[in-house]
Amino acid sequence: MNFSKIININVLFLFIVILLSFIGMAALYSAAAGNFDPWSKKHIIRFTISLILLFLVSLIDIKYVYKHSYTLFFLTLLLLFSVEIFGIFGKGATRWIQIFGVSIQPSEIVKVSIILALAKFYHNLRFDRIGKIHNLFFPMMIIIIPFTLTVIQPDLGTSLSIFILGVGMMFIAGVKIWKFVVGLSIMVISYPFFWNSIKLYQQKRILSFLNPESDPLGQGYQLIQSKIALGSGSLTGKGFLEGTQSYLEYLPEKQTDFIFTLIGEEFGFIGTIFIVFLYSLLILIAFYISIKSIHIFGRIISLGVALNLFIYVVLNMAMVTGLMPVVGIPLPLLSYGGTAMLSVMISFGLLLNVDLHYNYQKMKP
Amino acid sequence: MYHSQHKKQITVQNRRTFFLFLGKLSFFSIIGWRLFNIQILDSAKYKTLSKNNQISVKILYPVRGEIKDRNGNIIATNKKVYDLYVIPEQTKNLKETLNNLNNFIHFDFEKKRKIILLSKKVKKFESIKIEENLNWEKLELIEANKNHLPGLHLQEDYQRVYPQNKYFSHILGYISQPTLNDLNLPFISKMPRLDIGKTGLEKFLNEDLIGKAGNIEVEVNSSGKVIREISTNPSMKGQNISISIDQRLQKFSYFELEKHKAGSIVVLNIKTGEILSMASIPAFDPNLIIKKPNKNYWELLLNHPLSPLTNRSIQGLYSPGSTFKMIVALAGLKHKVINYSKTQFCDGKIEFGDRLYHCWNKKGHGSMNIENAIKESCDVFFYELSKKIGIEKIAQMAKEFGLGEKYQIGFENEKQGIVPTKKWKREKLKESWYAGETLITGIGQGYLLTTPLQLVVMTARIAANGKKIEPTIFKRKENKEFDKIPNINNHIGLINRAMFKVVNEQKGTANRSKSEEYSFSGKTGTSQVKKITIEERESDDYKKKDVDWKNRDHALFVGYTPSENPKYAISVVIEHGGSGASTAAPIAKRIFDYIYKQKI
Repeated sequence: MNFSKIININVLFLFIVILLSFIGMAALYSAAAGNFDPWSKKHIIRFTISLILLFLVSLIDIKYVYKHSYTLFFLTLLLLFSVEIFGIFGKGATRWIQIFGVSIQPSEIVKVSIILALAKFYHNLRFDRIGKIHNLFFPMMIIIIPFTLTVIQPDLGTSLSIFILGVGMMFIAGVKIWKFVVGLSIMVISYPFFWNSIKLYQQKRILSFLNPESDPLGQGYQLIQSKIALGSGSLTGKGFLEGTQSYLEYLPEKQTDFIFTLIGEEFGFIGTIFIVFLYSLLILIAFYISIKSIHIFGRIISLGVALNLFIYVVLNMAMVTGLMPVVGIPLPLLSYGGTAMLSVMISFGLLLNVDLHYNYQKMKP
Repeated sequence: MYHSQHKKQITVQNRRTFFLFLGKLSFFSIIGWRLFNIQILDSAKYKTLSKNNQISVKILYPVRGEIKDRNGNIIATNKKVYDLYVIPEQTKNLKETLNNLNNFIHFDFEKKRKIILLSKKVKKFESIKIEENLNWEKLELIEANKNHLPGLHLQEDYQRVYPQNKYFSHILGYISQPTLNDLNLPFISKMPRLDIGKTGLEKFLNEDLIGKAGNIEVEVNSSGKVIREISTNPSMKGQNISISIDQRLQKFSYFELEKHKAGSIVVLNIKTGEILSMASIPAFDPNLIIKKPNKNYWELLLNHPLSPLTNRSIQGLYSPGSTFKMIVALAGLKHKVINYSKTQFCDGKIEFGDRLYHCWNKKGHGSMNIENAIKESCDVFFYELSKKIGIEKIAQMAKEFGLGEKYQIGFENEKQGIVPTKKWKREKLKESWYAGETLITGIGQGYLLTTPLQLVVMTARIAANGKKIEPTIFKRKENKEFDKIPNINNHIGLINRAMFKVVNEQKGTANRSKSEEYSFSGKTGTSQVKKITIEERESDDYKKKDVDWKNRDHALFVGYTPSENPKYAISVVIEHGGSGASTAAPIAKRIFDYIYKQKI
């Protein structure tokens, strides 16, 4: 590993990432009514650890990243499988697994390894062979296996993200558009077979998730509180720590999925648009890195990372503003939650890695 | 080549990257527009909501679905009433409000405690029912004193009504407030006011009948008054459900049963397995259970010596007596222990293992073949036969015909009954099987116990030539396919012929109930309740009818009509009714008369 590369790292990107995580820290401080405990402190510790990982990932020679892409994919897939197996032998539905005493949500990690696996696959593939049946089958498996495993957990938010991410990346790679139409039709047709092939308890889990009647007050109530928080923030917001906590008492996820509403209440429309602007900037930089890169591997990774971030942000914001049902998606760098933070930061590490190796001659075909 | 492909790919990718960029931009624009809407355009509205007012979300309770009989007659419905509720959030002090209320209408301490307990369990803006179905006097009192009773609300509500009173008591069951345990059920959680089914079909069908809760978001001021509605999401009424029972036949069954103290009648459509009537007495009136206060009525029911809450059709366990003989005969024929022409001489008793086993006919039946043995219900013939077949093969055949089986048609506490085997006795009674017990089982006595539902299913399966009719309390299509019981095809005709003779030939035990207008077949049964000692048997009292009611035999009859291509099967059990021939068979005949007369 050549540490001297670090001087070339994309400073603007890093700055935005750090800025966002500090906004997250402040919001969590406010969510706990002006306390660093229980969330804010942990958030910043997690961020620091993740930042170190980001640097490490960005400095590895891209050749090694390329070499181990599939291995990483299988390892994360194995983690995901083990969650499902613990789900069978343990106490019902779970998304978590304990590794060295740390709770990890493999479905978050698997998103990054999907990006890697697809990037390696398309890097290796000559463009005129991209439409061959077996060349479509392999990437589809890379998407469908983790997708299925997260559906039956059921973690519908994550499975939806995995699906959009995978399909988006195949689109980026250059698969013909009519093939997506065919693929989607096949999925719709084969849906009953999938449904019948999973176990009864898995069906029950999914149904109970999709059936919000179990909480008749439920989402409608959560949403109106969320909208009041955003709306009462108006243009400039009520000011830091001035948000009316009583409403957010009704939001069970105020420190995780609904953190955006708290920012909206305290910093107003200016605050929320600024957040949207920061995320857009990150995505724009990723696009720039992609176009700059001379090798397909780097290009696809960059676009994948951008797409992954975009999915998080748009699904979360659509959810809290009532454009979409509540599915449980965190807002990267702002929401409290370890694995999503880790996963996103590693993906950023990959992006910066591509940036540092954009004209890596050995990766050229 | 490779390089040209690479270049081409880069071109395609750049183009797509641009499209993706546009796509993302438009999504972000939508989010931005949405934020603009909420935070700028509608900001004033949300600001007022946030400042002075509170948002309250109320559950709109769904109306419970109705239940209808097979012809669409309503047997469970809802009536509009006024109920009194309290919303803890809107009282200054819940206890104070309740104490004030006590000045106007009386309610006891225990109830007050329950309400306070419940208020801690549910969300604080949730209404809790205090009293339902208020009369006009109380309504006026509460309206007049509204100012002293903050947090109290009168609300239109629906009360469950069972228009057929007791006639469907065991089938429908009744509804009631959920217990704290019930609140954990997924489909009623957080709906503390929702009445749910406690027994019978009301319980079985809870999930379908309950419907879907709606909610209404309202803006309330600091004193709890609703300023305006923000949005309404209406509730959905539960499903209406039709069951297979025919209301007319059900009522007529009660009419027949009520000439006696306790018993059951079950009528089955053989073609479909639909239960057309399932009556059990004594019964109860579910309307009186629902109506508060119901304490006295509860006590009456619980202290009643014949336990009216029991659905005898599925919970009553009776020795089938001679109605079991068809099963023993089939087992004998299947395993070739006997054939059609083989005869057995009956002189009124046989000796086995230094014990005497008596035939009901003390003088004896003389020479009997299998058909006549069923027709005249000769016990000696079946003692001999069961001795040769053995208990295991008899039990096997009994199970094929649905004895010792729970049908799970929708009722809790359905009894399984007992089809005894050697293994059963070893496990349950820790004793080995005595050969004499096989003889007793052979005439439907001893450990053997069945429910009236099992008996009617057995009869239907015989009538359908061995098709395994499965009973249901819901409507079912005519062309339902049933499995066939194996290896009895050649013998079932003989059994049906014998059952025809029971009713239609002289010396048949039910010959007195024969009908001139239609044909029916059947089998009588008289099951002993009390062991008869030799002295009693010899005495004249035994023949007479003045035995204590509770020591009298149970009267049974199973049958079907018409004899050719049968459609209706019946089982009649009259507890301590005397003999099957004199009590149960005439009831069955009158039910069949009614079925034909009413064209059911």
